[in-house]
Amino acid sequence: MTKLAQWLWGLALLGSTWAALTMGPTLGLELPLTCREVLWPLPAYLLVTVGCFALGTVGYRVATFHDCEDAALELQTQIQEARADLARKGLRF
Amino acid sequence: QATGTDQVVGLVLVAVSLIIFTYYTVWVIILPFIDSQHVIHKYFLPRAYAVAIPLAVGLLLLLFVGVFITFVMVKNKKVAKKAQ
Repeated sequence: MTKLAQWLWGLALLGSTWAALTMGPTLGLELPLTCREVLWPLPAYLLVTVGCFALGTVGYRVATFHDCEDAALELQTQIQEARADLARKGLRF
Repeated sequence: QATGTDQVVGLVLVAVSLIIFTYYTVWVIILPFIDSQHVIHKYFLPRAYAVAIPLAVGLLLLLFVGVFITFVMVKNKKVAKKAQ
C-alpha cells in the first residue's frame, strides 16, 4: 500500500466516523448538545490544525536553515572522481 | 546559514501558527463546555464563523494559487514565442 492510499484510508475512516456521529440523531443515537456542538466543526478543525502544523514546520525550517558542508564536500569529491574517470576514458572537457 | 532575519521570520511564523492553533482550539473545542453567560464568549465570534472563515480562507488561497500558476504559464508562453 502506498503512502497516499494509507492517508486516504485514514481520512475515509475519520470522515465516516464523523459522518456517522453527526448523523447520529436521525438514526436514534442520543448525544448531549455540547458534544454535538463540538462535533460538527471537527473537519474544519482538522484542516486548521494541519495548516498550522504546515506553517509551523516551514517557520521552524526557515529559522534553523543551515549549510550542509559535509554533503557539499562529498559532492565535490564525487565530481572530481567522475571527471578523472571520464578523462581516463578519453573525454575532453 | 540562517541569518538573523531568517531566524526572526521563521520564529514569527512558528509563533503565528501556535497562536492560531491555540485560539482556534479554545474557540471550537473548549468554548461549548463553558457557560454561555461567561465573559469569555465576548472574545469569540459566533460559532458559524469557526467553519466559514477557514473555508473562505482556503478558497481564497486556492484561487490565489490558480491565478498565480495561470499567470506564470501565460508569461512563459510569451517568452517561448519571443525566443522562436
